[in-house]
Amino acid sequence: MHDIAILGAGRIGRIHAKNVGGQPGLRLKYVVDPVAAAADSLAADTGASVTDLDTALNDPAVAGVIVASSTDTHLDYCLKAVAAGKAVFCEKPIDLDLARARSAQGVLGGKDVKLFLGFNRRFDPNFQGLKARLAGGVVGALETVHITSHDPAPPPVSYVKVSGGLFKDMAIHDFDMARWLLDEPVVEVFAAASCLVDPAIGEAGDVDTAKILLRTASGKICVISNSRRSGYGYDQRIEAFGAKGLVRADNVMESTVSVWGEAGAASDSFQNFFLDRYAEAYRREMAHFAGILRGDETPSVGYVDGVEALALAEAAGQSAKTGQVVKL
Amino acid sequence: MIKVAQLGAGRMGAIHARNAAANPRLDLVALVDPRPEFAGPLAQALGARLASFDEVLADPEIKGIIVASSTDAHLDNALDAVRAGKIVFCEKPLDLNLARLLGASGELEKTDSKLFVAFNRRFDPHYQALKARIDSGEIGKLESLHIINHDPATPPPAFIPTSGGLFKDFTIHDFDLAPWLMGERPIVVFAWASCLIDPEIGRLGDVDTSKVVLTTASGRLCMISNSRRSGYGYDQRIEAFGSKGAARVDNLTNTAVSVWGEAGAQADKFPYAFIDRYAGAYAAEMDHFADVLEGKAAPETGFAASVASLELAEAAARSAATGAPVRL
Repeated sequence: MHDIAILGAGRIGRIHAKNVGGQPGLRLKYVVDPVAAAADSLAADTGASVTDLDTALNDPAVAGVIVASSTDTHLDYCLKAVAAGKAVFCEKPIDLDLARARSAQGVLGGKDVKLFLGFNRRFDPNFQGLKARLAGGVVGALETVHITSHDPAPPPVSYVKVSGGLFKDMAIHDFDMARWLLDEPVVEVFAAASCLVDPAIGEAGDVDTAKILLRTASGKICVISNSRRSGYGYDQRIEAFGAKGLVRADNVMESTVSVWGEAGAASDSFQNFFLDRYAEAYRREMAHFAGILRGDETPSVGYVDGVEALALAEAAGQSAKTGQVVKL
Repeated sequence: MIKVAQLGAGRMGAIHARNAAANPRLDLVALVDPRPEFAGPLAQALGARLASFDEVLADPEIKGIIVASSTDAHLDNALDAVRAGKIVFCEKPLDLNLARLLGASGELEKTDSKLFVAFNRRFDPHYQALKARIDSGEIGKLESLHIINHDPATPPPAFIPTSGGLFKDFTIHDFDLAPWLMGERPIVVFAWASCLIDPEIGRLGDVDTSKVVLTTASGRLCMISNSRRSGYGYDQRIEAFGSKGAARVDNLTNTAVSVWGEAGAQADKFPYAFIDRYAGAYAAEMDHFADVLEGKAAPETGFAASVASLELAEAAARSAATGAPVRL
């Protein structure tokens, strides 16, 4: 049995805390959050106790630390937890500042560091199935990848202002997915972006709609389509084109029910947002963390992946601003 | 019935000649092709006579000319026919050289009501329905468009040098569809292209795989994906994303049969190539030509659409060659 401390009792913290309880080898011991009400409530729901960061990190019984606090604290908490000898599960992103993230790579990016970065989509069973089919060679050599990632509705502008912008906040998932599927370094980035959804997002200096192209050294191309608002739910699809065919993962519906009427056939709606669509992915993340703590698994996605995704996000932001290709 | 004659009895010529012969308003009376081995059997099967171009131009009974000769002859053939007072159906492209095409603008702009350049996809019932649904406002204001256009298999290498290259030969369809569906002209063209399929295509100076991003003045974005070889049939899909939803046209299957087995559910194959997938569109464009001949309609696409799509193709080729976006 491994004791766990969770830093952050917000929306994503609650998900991870609940999933700790679902892993047979893990027990949630501490909840740490400066917002007392959030910490108390989560502790009460999970049977953990509320404490402060130092107590949690100094407790030798604590083997693993989950960093699910606000983004600007991720990097510091990772450094502290690793220094205290804990295995770390850090929610993405690692940081919003590439230079700052790179400066910690020597410490956090080492091979022996047990730091697992929670890019949840790598743990989605649909995308894992897609990756497995690609690896199995069913469509021959991979040539291009299309990732569609559209949110159901735009976040409040107050969030947009601190989010790091579309590329670092939203497309970051797709950059990681692209790296994972392409399986070779991206050398060029081009992004065309507009503010079409909400003028307030534009006034805040951000964009809400983008098409991003990534190219690898061998000429593989990945297209990422992003929108902050689909109007029809959470659109999460991937198509991978190979020399012999296509593998695709389509959207997941709320149910398999469809209704046929005079207006045509209507399927059920897409699962509305990430908490539903990626519920199983979050569970699988925690199972992976349990494997890391047992010593059976090594982090399949780590600090360097976070830095590389961030580098692509910065490049895309720069490309969208200048209108030119950014070479890495 | 309106008497028409046709130039060219090759692959496209055979399709158009059969559709003209099958159209209740048209009477295909003559076929012009210097190669009797092609023209003879087709003329015999359709009850048309073999004739020379001069003969059909001089025949006052013949009101319409279908130009399905080799691409490099299209413009001259169309001009000669227009000068002879005929109404012309010209297979796309009108020409592969933008400068040459613009050189004919003085003459062709005046006679545009007599020249129909057949961009077949605008006549596909599925794309027509898509456009109608977009225009109805059902998905709100259109924001972005994804066009997937992948051929089943690469053309013979001998075709490449005379084809005009991927953008003018293949993407040209998408360059016509995109402004048509978006209701707005692109002002920036960005293209990445690779030779991933057949090194011989690369040696001949062409590419076989590309992603193009178009941006309009209002910031709408269009992504076009092209491949000369899918490995799974003719992949022809469009997705339109609006402020209230999305509309899409999926691939057709040869039959509605699917087979369920241990490996999962297997749908039937896609129609193998354009001749099958767009059979209905080819018949519909011939019917449109009958409308033009009867004075019931102005040509849906003519000189202006030819210039507009060729401009985008030339811009895309330049962007792919330089790696920088091209502003129109």
